[in-house]
Amino acid sequence: MPHLAVNDVYAKYGALEVLHGIAFEVDRGEVVSLVGPSGSGKSTVLRTLVGLTPVSRGSVEVDGTSIDYRSGRALKAARDRMAIVFQQYNLFQNMNVLRNVTLAPTKVKGRNRREVEEEAMELLALVGMSDKAGAYPDELSGGQQQRVAIARALALKPDILLLDEVTSALDPELVNEVLDAIRRLAREGMTMLLVSHEMAFVREVSSKVVFMDKGRVVETGAPARIFDAPESDRARDFFGKVLRG
Amino acid sequence: MNYTFQFNVVWRNFDALLEGAWLTLQLGVFAFTMGALVGLLGAAIKTYGPWPLRWLVNLYVVFITNTPALIQIYFLYFGLPEFGIRWSNEACVLIGLTLNAGAYLTMILRAGFLSVRRTEMEAGETLGMSPVQKIRYIVVPHIAKSIYPALANFFIVILVMGTSVGAVIGVDELTGQAINLSTVNYRWLEYFTVIAVMYVVLTFIASLGLALVGRWAFRVKARIF
Ligand SMILES: Nc1ncnc2c1ncn2[C@@H]1O[C@H](COP(=O)(O)OP(=O)(O)OP(=O)(O)O)[C@@H](O)[C@H]1O
Ligand SMILES: [Mg+2]
Repeated sequence: MPHLAVNDVYAKYGALEVLHGIAFEVDRGEVVSLVGPSGSGKSTVLRTLVGLTPVSRGSVEVDGTSIDYRSGRALKAARDRMAIVFQQYNLFQNMNVLRNVTLAPTKVKGRNRREVEEEAMELLALVGMSDKAGAYPDELSGGQQQRVAIARALALKPDILLLDEVTSALDPELVNEVLDAIRRLAREGMTMLLVSHEMAFVREVSSKVVFMDKGRVVETGAPARIFDAPESDRARDFFGKVLRG
Repeated sequence: MNYTFQFNVVWRNFDALLEGAWLTLQLGVFAFTMGALVGLLGAAIKTYGPWPLRWLVNLYVVFITNTPALIQIYFLYFGLPEFGIRWSNEACVLIGLTLNAGAYLTMILRAGFLSVRRTEMEAGETLGMSPVQKIRYIVVPHIAKSIYPALANFFIVILVMGTSVGAVIGVDELTGQAINLSTVNYRWLEYFTVIAVMYVVLTFIASLGLALVGRWAFRVKARIF
């Protein structure tokens, strides 16, 4: 049984349908990447998984149980399992780094503050940010904020981490520090679904690549296969452009 | 002008003026705090509430902000007894000022609600926060920081202009005390000169306090003047 199964999912913004039957699976401990042209619906897929954009048809299953996004309790349970980090750093601007990470575990989960703070410091160390625990977001670089956002997402101990172009708003020299943090998570066996334009990185960390275009999955396969021998014209065309630069 | 100022009477009754100033400060702080809670509720409803509630809030805001505070307090003090509701003059001032401040603060705080970054709210949402938690941990600190100067200004308005309305229904705040005392010995000019200075001092103390609170609690670098 796959850890996460997306079955024929449709989604729309108002009247505009942007996902027309998305399907793919993620196994436990696997890193799966969504790639494709701008506007193909990659972010929307991640948003539907955490219930920010409603699923209009199809289903999402975690460990074989389908999530009913209309039920508040099921939604909460789904958000316990999956945590998302967005492209735009969205740290809480009015709290320091440590509080950003500890807020949800203490206030939403009602866990003991000291215990949570200890864990938070470990997570900050994991993403290389322990020396900035007392800093506020506006005192950090984009890359540093993004690493804190990853630590914050991990603080709720999700089973699956969703990462939406976490490096695309960053200066090139900051990209690597974030990618290193993700590499470390991958080595620790974290299940991840990531959207990225860093093709070399995608090839390196993913066990599976899902190529999307215009709200549909066009091809799915191992990175080497998808990048080097795409079957569809659309994928060949896209990788021809992005890999040549 | 050959008026001779005689401040002796004023100094002799200075204790009473100090008491009045203390009451003014209390009324101002109370009305502002309660008004802020009302305004927070109003702004939350205007931003996230269903339309019938939004409509009610609009009605409240339009009604209050387009009538003089004096009339509102008259209504509470002289009007409500006709319906069998009798409140003391101090209660009328407190309730009147709270309702008045609440309406203005609904509008002021609404601007703060609208300027919260959507991404921060989504982050709160996906971290599992309830609507109340999102308001408490994301919206309120954001508002406090981003429109702190507007809030501080409004507090001064309540403190100086709002509370003095109490004088007309016999509440002995600073203006009321000055009126009481000067009717006894006709030293109007002296009393009003002194309380003018006292209002300035009160405002200064309040601004200083607000600046310190802002700096300490919300990292606001507020100017004091
Ligand atoms: N809030 C929104 N309201 C209306 N339409 C939207 C909204 N967000 C996205 N869309 C539309 O949905 C489609 C898919 O957008 P999405 O953001 O999922 O694409 P993407 O693959 O993540 O693109 P990118 O690589 O540029 O981030 C696009 O056509 C976009 O214009
Ligand atoms: Mg996107």
